[in-house]
Amino acid sequence: MTTKEPTDELLPPSLLAKLERLEFASRKMFRGQLKGERRSRRRGQSVEFDDFRNYVPGDDLRLIDWNLYARLDQLFLKLFQEEEERHFYALVDASGSMGFGTPSKFLVARQLAAALGYIGLCRSDRVSVQILGHAGRKAPVLRSRSSLWQMLQYLETVTLGQNDSLGESIRDFASRQTGSGIVVLISDFLDKEGFESALRMLVNHRMDVFVMHLLSPEEINPTLRGDHRLIDSEDEDFADLTINQYAVDQYLANLKGFIESIKTFCNRRSMVYVPISTEMRIEEMATTYLRQRGVVR
Amino acid sequence: MSEGLSITSVGPPNPFGMPLGALSWLSTLGLWAWVLPVIAAGIVALYFLKLRREPVQVSSTYLWGKTIEDLHVNSLLQRLRRSLLLLLQLLILACAAIAVFRPGVRGETNGQDRLIFLLDRSASMQAVDLEGGVSRFDKAKELIRGRIGSMSDQQTAMLIAFDDRAETVQAFTSDRSRLLLSLDAVTVSNAPTDMLEALRAADGLANPRRSSQVGDLNDVQVADASPAELLIFSDGAFQPPADFNLGNLIPNYVAIGSEKVLNLAITEFSTQTDFDKPGVVQVYGTVANLGNVPGKTEVALEMDGELLDAELVSLEPGEEKGLAFEISANDSAFLTLTLSVTDDLAVDNRAYAGLTPSKRASILVITEGNTALEVALETEQIQRICDVSFVSPSFLTSDSYRERVNTSEDDLLIFDRCQPLKMPKTNTFFIGAIPPASVVSVDPESDDSEENLTTDDASDDSRFAWGWDAESTPLSIIDINRTHPLLRYLDLFSVLVFSGRPLVVPEGGTELLAADTGTVLAVAPREGYQDLVLGFPIVSQSDGGVPEANTNWFAERSWPVFLFNVLRTLGNASETTAAGSYAPGAIVRGRLNQLSEERPSDSLRIETSSGRKVAFVLRDALQFETVDTHEIGAYEVRTQEKLLQRFAVNLFNQRESSIAASREITLGYEEVESGNAGLVVRREYWRFVLLVMLALMMAEWWLYNQRMG
Repeated sequence: MTTKEPTDELLPPSLLAKLERLEFASRKMFRGQLKGERRSRRRGQSVEFDDFRNYVPGDDLRLIDWNLYARLDQLFLKLFQEEEERHFYALVDASGSMGFGTPSKFLVARQLAAALGYIGLCRSDRVSVQILGHAGRKAPVLRSRSSLWQMLQYLETVTLGQNDSLGESIRDFASRQTGSGIVVLISDFLDKEGFESALRMLVNHRMDVFVMHLLSPEEINPTLRGDHRLIDSEDEDFADLTINQYAVDQYLANLKGFIESIKTFCNRRSMVYVPISTEMRIEEMATTYLRQRGVVR
Repeated sequence: MSEGLSITSVGPPNPFGMPLGALSWLSTLGLWAWVLPVIAAGIVALYFLKLRREPVQVSSTYLWGKTIEDLHVNSLLQRLRRSLLLLLQLLILACAAIAVFRPGVRGETNGQDRLIFLLDRSASMQAVDLEGGVSRFDKAKELIRGRIGSMSDQQTAMLIAFDDRAETVQAFTSDRSRLLLSLDAVTVSNAPTDMLEALRAADGLANPRRSSQVGDLNDVQVADASPAELLIFSDGAFQPPADFNLGNLIPNYVAIGSEKVLNLAITEFSTQTDFDKPGVVQVYGTVANLGNVPGKTEVALEMDGELLDAELVSLEPGEEKGLAFEISANDSAFLTLTLSVTDDLAVDNRAYAGLTPSKRASILVITEGNTALEVALETEQIQRICDVSFVSPSFLTSDSYRERVNTSEDDLLIFDRCQPLKMPKTNTFFIGAIPPASVVSVDPESDDSEENLTTDDASDDSRFAWGWDAESTPLSIIDINRTHPLLRYLDLFSVLVFSGRPLVVPEGGTELLAADTGTVLAVAPREGYQDLVLGFPIVSQSDGGVPEANTNWFAERSWPVFLFNVLRTLGNASETTAAGSYAPGAIVRGRLNQLSEERPSDSLRIETSSGRKVAFVLRDALQFETVDTHEIGAYEVRTQEKLLQRFAVNLFNQRESSIAASREITLGYEEVESGNAGLVVRREYWRFVLLVMLALMMAEWWLYNQRMG
């Protein structure tokens, strides 16, 4: 894993070309309202042949296969596959804890959201990259590659501290989105109310959910030692602790258990859990790591 | 422990069969020792009080909070156990405390509370046959130092350093630092060894006895005798002391030195003037191999620093070789004999002999007439070295006698069958008579002091007075002390004595001639002089007053030889040929005839060949006395401009030069084998503990900086 040099640029131009070749590896077929680039279970007017069926009165005469009528003297209708759009949501946790790490988890989360959103735009999906909380409501819904700048503009303007509770924010999102689609939730899940209720909300809405769990190197392997008062960045809560190897071992055990619990929760609900260290460069993350984890292909 | 509470001694004298060598503690603190736990508690308290937690913002306390929940289960213990800094600080304190208590494993001890260290500082201890070129003396001091270090607080020790004299350097004390200081002050000497002296000193201090006669009811023993461990650090090069009862002393001998040594020594070096050839001096030397390895050396004879002659000598162990040189010499010169070999003991590789200005001895004979004596004293050889005057006994009462005695004009007075009222201040030879009962000499300053010399005084000092043991009887000689210079070269068994009386010899006297009835010839010291007494006259007078021979000795060849020996030894006539040689530390007395004429006694000084000024006492204008003769070398007695006398101090002690360390010594009736029992040096661990403490401090400091950094 190469060391990432801190950059505030959400999407490096060099990455854009690579992203254009990628697409989401969604395990579900979704119904869209507009034509898109995704094959639908519905038959429609694409060029992709799908099947034949007998003519019944009232069918569109343009779809009759006259060559077959000439051979068999029976009327058959030629059916084609329908291609339609897909909904893609990238939800970025903007709680205070996301501001930590070098580079900050929030920056990496936005870069990731932008990269995935661009993949969706390239595939003519209905893309909505938004941060959790009230600010997410103002997020634009985008459909074409040309609206990339809108997405980036939105991501660049958003700030931290927009959502206090992960569960509440997701509930708010879910209440606004009734349809199905791909949801990528990018968060560190360091919420004292827990992550379960939030994720459960997405399952109930028949979303194909990808859970991107961001952790900074400082959280994965803390180097802090000594007598400290640890102050929570979100609620100013503090914990007096003498951090020695024993305490660090305890922390690591807790972290491991925490990751395992999210992973298990996701696996049981057909969500894809992807742990991500912010140490990873966005290029490597988008083009290699997410491919390996089955998010894109 | 100098005061207060005792926190010592985990290792008592093995009451429960605890193995020897158990860890023991020697505390050097008193009440302060109890303060340490308080300091420890203070550190813990301060640790929590001073604890300032640095505020650090973290993304979330969610996971850390869970950690705290785990830690809360036994938070205090966890903190103590897991807080490395605090633990290190407490460990540092513990190390300091342990170091203060001086932990160590003591070697075997025999549990005696009293120790007497006997440190041999004789010449042989200068040998450097040990590994690393360390001298035996330094090694002995090092061992004693270790033993003192391992003493417990209950033990007291005394330090006696001995050569030919014993010196109690430090009386019984339990103060180890005082013992060590006293030990450091002891230096090695050139003197030979007298073990008996040392044992007596130890015995007197270890075995208190009644102060006087047994049976005296008023005399009580002032202290109970208690056993003491006698630790002898020596190489065993000494005459085994006989007739000594160790009593409560438990001897423990530590042999210092190796058994395989190389030592070539000069055991004799003397000069003699050839009377027939004036200006020619015969020089005799003896070189012996007293080690147990064959040796080869060049022997160089030098006169006043100039090489005169040299000879190559190869000697097998135990072999010795006599060397003779004939040299032309002035009246006054110093000769040096040097061995070029580098052996284990250097002090016996150089010997000195001096030629002094010639002087004639003056002999006064008081006799009623003794042809045998007169004839013998008028031989050519005696005439060459002495001036002999004959006077009758009536002269003893004359003023001229008194004046002559007071000015110490004579080197020797011979009283033939007569005695003076008081003993003169010079050497005497009594023939057929004994010195007067009082041994107090005539005071030259107050001639009328006779009234002070009562018979009571004499009886009080009966131990120091000559006397007759029996009536006159015929006697025959049965034993001769040939080792004494007075009887050298004599054979007296053919001597017949018709009438003689055995002598009562004063304390300190030496029997020279023993007859069947008792001692008939003896010599005894008196205030720096010597009195020789012959128990039978040579000639006696018959009832008719006719002289008749009482012995046939005068007709023997031994008679003039004996008289010559007397003149040489007691009349200092030997000084006319060569300067005297003394053992290191011996008392040297000399007469200064020349000085009496000039009396520049203020400018008189004695110097060694190395230029050191020797302390001396001028007993009167004519006699000097010095004991400051520890340095081996040539000594010159001189005034500002004139050399008066010379003497040399040489080791010349075969036993001292036989430096192979003995593994076994005999002390009185006991044989003691060399061992180191009780001398296993206490192994101190406090230094290691201090090192651990330092390491801990560094670790703590590093950790602290790591955390704070």
